[in-house]
Amino acid sequence: MTGTTRLAPDTALQRLEELGRSSDPSNYIVDGIPPRLALELASPETVAEALALCAAAGLALVPWGGGGQMGLGNLPERYDVALDLRGLAAVVDYEPDDLTIGVQAGCTLARLAAILSEHGQMLPLDADDPERITIGGLVATGLGCPRRFGYGSLRDLIIGITVALPDGTLARGGGMVVKNVSGYDMMRLHFGALGSLGVIVRANFKLLPSPEAQRTLLVAFPSLEEAMEGALAVRGSQLAPTALVVLAPVTAERFIGMARWTLAARCEGPEGAVLRQAERLRETAASATSDARILEHEETLRFWSSLQGKLGATPLANVMRVRIGELPSQLGELAAQLVTEWGSALEDAVLDVGSGLAYVTVAGTVEELRGAWTRLAGYGRHATMLAAPGDVKAGYDVFGRHPEGVAVMRRLKETFDPERTLNPGRFIALL
Amino acid sequence: MDRAAIRTRLLEIVGPDGLLDDPDELLVYEYDASDEVFAGHHRPDFTVLPRTAEQVSAVVRLANEVGLPVIPRGAGTGLAGGALALRGGILIVLTRMNRILEVNERDGYAIVEPGVINLELSTALQPRGYFFAPDPASQRACTIGGNVGNNSGGPHCLKYGVTTNHILGLEVVLPDGERIWTGGPVPETPGVDLTGVLVGSEGTLGIVTKVMVRLTRLPEGVSVLLAAFPDIESASHATSAIIAAGVLPAALEMMDQLTIKAVEDAFHAGYPREAGAVLLVELDGLQEIVAENTGRVAELCRQHSAWEVRVARTKEERDLLWLGRKSAFGAMGRLAPNYYLVDTTVPRTKLPATMRRVEELSREYRLSIANVFHAGDGNLHPLVLFDRHRPGEVERVLECTTEILRYCVDVGGTLSGEHGIGFEKRDYMTLVFTTEDLCAMAGLKRSFDPRELFNPEKVLPTGFRCGEVALLRQQALAQRFGLEYV
Repeated sequence: MTGTTRLAPDTALQRLEELGRSSDPSNYIVDGIPPRLALELASPETVAEALALCAAAGLALVPWGGGGQMGLGNLPERYDVALDLRGLAAVVDYEPDDLTIGVQAGCTLARLAAILSEHGQMLPLDADDPERITIGGLVATGLGCPRRFGYGSLRDLIIGITVALPDGTLARGGGMVVKNVSGYDMMRLHFGALGSLGVIVRANFKLLPSPEAQRTLLVAFPSLEEAMEGALAVRGSQLAPTALVVLAPVTAERFIGMARWTLAARCEGPEGAVLRQAERLRETAASATSDARILEHEETLRFWSSLQGKLGATPLANVMRVRIGELPSQLGELAAQLVTEWGSALEDAVLDVGSGLAYVTVAGTVEELRGAWTRLAGYGRHATMLAAPGDVKAGYDVFGRHPEGVAVMRRLKETFDPERTLNPGRFIALL
Repeated sequence: MDRAAIRTRLLEIVGPDGLLDDPDELLVYEYDASDEVFAGHHRPDFTVLPRTAEQVSAVVRLANEVGLPVIPRGAGTGLAGGALALRGGILIVLTRMNRILEVNERDGYAIVEPGVINLELSTALQPRGYFFAPDPASQRACTIGGNVGNNSGGPHCLKYGVTTNHILGLEVVLPDGERIWTGGPVPETPGVDLTGVLVGSEGTLGIVTKVMVRLTRLPEGVSVLLAAFPDIESASHATSAIIAAGVLPAALEMMDQLTIKAVEDAFHAGYPREAGAVLLVELDGLQEIVAENTGRVAELCRQHSAWEVRVARTKEERDLLWLGRKSAFGAMGRLAPNYYLVDTTVPRTKLPATMRRVEELSREYRLSIANVFHAGDGNLHPLVLFDRHRPGEVERVLECTTEILRYCVDVGGTLSGEHGIGFEKRDYMTLVFTTEDLCAMAGLKRSFDPRELFNPEKVLPTGFRCGEVALLRQQALAQRFGLEYV
């Protein structure tokens, strides 16, 4: 077999520094481990070059956006270089009348939302720290929000991608049109692959018109069973809320000051229609023993943004967050089991009934959290540790039970990243 | 292994009624719905019609053992030559695997076999209050497996998205014969999104043996409008205005004068014959929102020179308005013996200019071109009319359609919106993608199918064989750093 000679690591590090600006490695800690070099890059070409240098020298690289989702991933197998992509933040291609946008990976959600709102458009995403979360981070982690119930997730809206590969090339897939079957779906290959097959430098999306008005119906129930019954009645109706969740009492108290199992349904559309929709949702969900109220437009935005903070992968100290996939009709049973097992250790629990996902945050010592994971990993259809201190992760696969097809994933890794340059060890099955 | 031995083994797997290898029986499988004039006909060595996923897997293992290509096929309605056996081999026809295995409306999914016909699935779901959103024009014949292979579209994709947005999971036989499930009924399955990669891969990465589809709730309210315009240009501007106004119709379809006449002659759908173009707009959702948007869309059409706007009030009226659109391809037989359908997408704002260019090319090449297409998402379908027996006409059609594709790509569009690349458009891929882009795609193919036995000669252009790609990549890296091969 032929191959290329290796570059000495120190030579590679030196040449890497010439590509961009060095930054303080202590700001790029992954699970307690700092890199040897942190590098800010400002063009797709230099990213590709950096990847090739790392690959040639056998260095391990971690792509970095805002760092807001860095809780997700296994302990790094090696970690030499952090690649800060926040300098790669241009909106490359935006024609509002086409309802499409092409944006570089380092663009923050806040900046993107500001540009889109000038034209009455949006990507239906929520974030509690939009100044920090980057588009590249959202695509790489594939973490969604409850609005997927109404609009689909970012996975449904991505129409094009450009990635830098360890062979030093930039490869595109898709394009700038909303309907496209030309070639393989490279967008979904990289969506949620944690940058393990390529570093995302640009993504294109189809956009949505911003709704004129928003309201949120909140209904507090005396029991989990009644709350789930209400939520499933809404799910089965034609009332089409854009998000539908049930909050555990501890979480409901934190966000809306009612320590009860609480249903939240989001309505988006023309002003008059939204008010009527919220009213009809109340009629469908509420019971004799429940209390309902409606959040106004601004309150609605605040509520869902801050709630997202309990559904993400921000690195956490002293607590562990787990995402469990389960059929909407089974989420109630799952929640009951969680309450029985963890009781007061349950810091937060949010049931995304629209999607079929439960988000659980558990408090405890490292040993307690490790014990909790061994049980939680077996729950539902799938379970993922979204964030936890590095000591909790050690020796486990945070992606839980492996789906079928891991052998194919391994071959993809061998093909696209033969030197194990990109996030080695951090993705599923320690890929 | 010689032919007779392979035949014996196949008989053991699928039984005598599951194997065709007589030249007369194979004749029909030399074609799909692509035009023979352009795609030719290609005889498979064997055609098998398995009834179970186990049989599919066993056939694939055998093909692997003897090094024969494998070509999956549904109803054969594909227009890009995706189901043609270009290198012979075993054609696996999945139409006998046609059961709906499970419907779970509470949790929003159904599991079906790949041979289930698209319309039959929605018909089965309707009484329960749900539907399967992708609705290609061929939905009365095409299969769910084919929809998955081609990531099929249809009019309602404007609001609901294409097939990939409605596939939750797949049971798939991989090129080594192993059978796995990808995805599942709830989102965010950990790992690489193999479901997303497989949808639209045109049978080059695996054969789907079960499909888990998303069920969509039937909307509470539906309205359909037909607006008549003096010309395509004004209808195109109305389209942009509707989208820009923040209205997202379920469907937004356009037909030009040539199509309207053909449809009226053939089916009497009641379209205004004098119109230069018509828009068919469907709005759905909550009653309140549909009522409000229907008024807004009608007003926007009038502002952009529509001289007539009809609103269908009942299901019968709606179906009649849709009849013309759905029968348009069938009506083309009234205009010419043959037509070549070009499927391409441009950014919406480029629609008026693109339509002008198509008109120019029609004059330049002396070919009539009818237009019936998904205007809302910029997905054009120019139908180039011709007579294959007239000398020189086939060549002119090829040149003309290549020019259309080239123009669409130049204005930021793409080669295919919903029909696929298949064999027909593989050599156009270099118009859109660079060598580096295509190398990455070849890497994906290699990861699934290192021996290139799955639907060979499709999607990737000639010259992007997997072996060559690995070499190219190594050379690129070496050149960059002045490194040498060892």
